[in-house]
Amino acid sequence: MDPLYIKLALGGLTVLGCIGIFFGIGLGLAAHKFAVETDPRVEAVQEVLAGGQ
Amino acid sequence: MTRAFVHKTHSSAQVNHYLRIVIFFISLLLFCGCRTDHRFVKKAVFKDSHEIAITFAGPVDEAWAENMANFSVYEKPDPDILSDIRSVVLSPDRMTLTIHAKEPISQEISHKVVLKEIISGGVSQGTAYLTVKKLYIGHLFSILMGAMIIQNFVFSKYLGLCVFFGTSRKKSTAVGMGITFTIVIIAASLMSWFFYQFVLKPFRLDYLQLVVFIGLVSLTVQGVDTILRKVNPALFKAFGVYLVLVIANCIVIAVPLILADNEYNLWESLMLATGAGLGFLIALFLMSCVRERLEFANIPESYRGLPIAFIVAGLFALAFMGFSGMSLF
Repeated sequence: MDPLYIKLALGGLTVLGCIGIFFGIGLGLAAHKFAVETDPRVEAVQEVLAGGQ
Repeated sequence: MTRAFVHKTHSSAQVNHYLRIVIFFISLLLFCGCRTDHRFVKKAVFKDSHEIAITFAGPVDEAWAENMANFSVYEKPDPDILSDIRSVVLSPDRMTLTIHAKEPISQEISHKVVLKEIISGGVSQGTAYLTVKKLYIGHLFSILMGAMIIQNFVFSKYLGLCVFFGTSRKKSTAVGMGITFTIVIIAASLMSWFFYQFVLKPFRLDYLQLVVFIGLVSLTVQGVDTILRKVNPALFKAFGVYLVLVIANCIVIAVPLILADNEYNLWESLMLATGAGLGFLIALFLMSCVRERLEFANIPESYRGLPIAFIVAGLFALAFMGFSGMSLF
């Protein structure tokens, strides 16, 4: 195979991987910073209630 | 007394500062299209379907203007194919030159005009390579109106129909979805534009654009969701339901692909994204108005619900066909 193609493919993997990691960390930090406290009791009550809507 | 005075001057200076920034940006936008590439040429514009008018800073020599070999015109993407020039006319005050082409000039494509060795008062002013294009503001506005009405994504391209039918049952839902969608599409397409121009193209990864754009769209939606939930819970309650639906909309992925295909710049991208968002809002609003009334209409049983909605959408598409082929500026 042409080494150019291998180079392009590996470059693509690296670049996309970097973008993915960067935004993954960004979203994780955002979720941490903008975290909203939810009452665990609300979920517990909803679990017990009859299903459907 | 002194303190109040100091405070006042400070705030007015700040206002002045902001004003200056705003004026700078507006003038930047205005002069993008008016600038020419040669100091002796003031203006180069399309005049008619066959003509290009060039205004000089001073009178030029008639002998120079009569020699047809001094002029050549070509479309910017194809420098090898010269347009045939029928005649070159100099105005009586020798300031304006009009080049007539044999075949009509397409104003959509920017053209290059080469003026060899401009001679004014016996002195050579050097060769000018001019770019002629439509007025920039008009160009931007036509992109906006084109995406919004003439080439409406829902009614003339049939994109985003699932969300369109899902959320157009009530007027309030439709407007909520339309506004959320406009905000998300502007953010997502500007980000995709940035990544296409500055990451994918330099690394020659254009063939991965579809994958990257899908990722960026869902990222934007997730980001808006996370931030809105904390910053403005009331707004989140109103828009939160639709936010997830935006991911499943194909207009939001079509716009970045169109941007990448046409090599739009930042302003053009902004206009196309805004137009697509507002066009979707218009489509949803029109559709929801009709569907609210359909609730009370006497419809044959087999047509009730979705079937009649499809027929109404088809009628809207027919009506929007009236705009097709229209061009502004």
